[in-house]
Amino acid sequence: MVSLVIISHSAKIAEGVKEMADQMTGGAVPIVSCGGFEGGLGTDEERIRAGIQAVYSPDGVLILLDLGSAVLTAESVLETLSDSEREKIAIADAPLLEGALFSSVEASIGSPLSKVKEVAEQAAFFRKLETGNS
Amino acid sequence: MEKVIVVRNPHGLHARPAAKFVRAASSVQEEVTIEKNGKTANAKSILGIMSLGVSRGDSVKLFVNAEEREDLMFRLEEILTAEDES
Repeated sequence: MVSLVIISHSAKIAEGVKEMADQMTGGAVPIVSCGGFEGGLGTDEERIRAGIQAVYSPDGVLILLDLGSAVLTAESVLETLSDSEREKIAIADAPLLEGALFSSVEASIGSPLSKVKEVAEQAAFFRKLETGNS
Repeated sequence: MEKVIVVRNPHGLHARPAAKFVRAASSVQEEVTIEKNGKTANAKSILGIMSLGVSRGDSVKLFVNAEEREDLMFRLEEILTAEDES
């Protein structure tokens, strides 16, 4: 099963995203939150590296992140991993919360990393107000 | 096989019930769809299900592309009609 790594500048946001995704999946998907830096806002390479290792699976790991330097930090962590590990890890170009919720459900049904990533990225186009009710 | 069901779940098919529905539908290989007001969604797609916007009181048609999937049909109906679903 693909696992998820949630990266945010805010530890509270990362924790909250994990909390909601855990509830969607009933805890079926390994999810780790990696938020904050030295007690404040920021992204922490060490925390992210430890998070990836904690949930690493040969089925794959999908990284979801918020903005800006979160991408740079995640990429520099990936550079330190072996080629075989890195090819099992993908970064989703997706909204953090919606991407995590939808992709966690996709991961819970055993979909491959490419599909889980695709669902996370499609979450950017999910309409909240114009659903089938319209 | 197909069945028309009136949704009784207080929250409709949103968030947790939607996730549960997708997991149940994904337990079989066959095609499973849900239709509301002429719009059909793949029951194995969380985005498809959430985009359909199924609420309490809606009438939906479940379709399972197999003749002997009563167990799955029952499970899906159970999710849609659970009065105490949070």
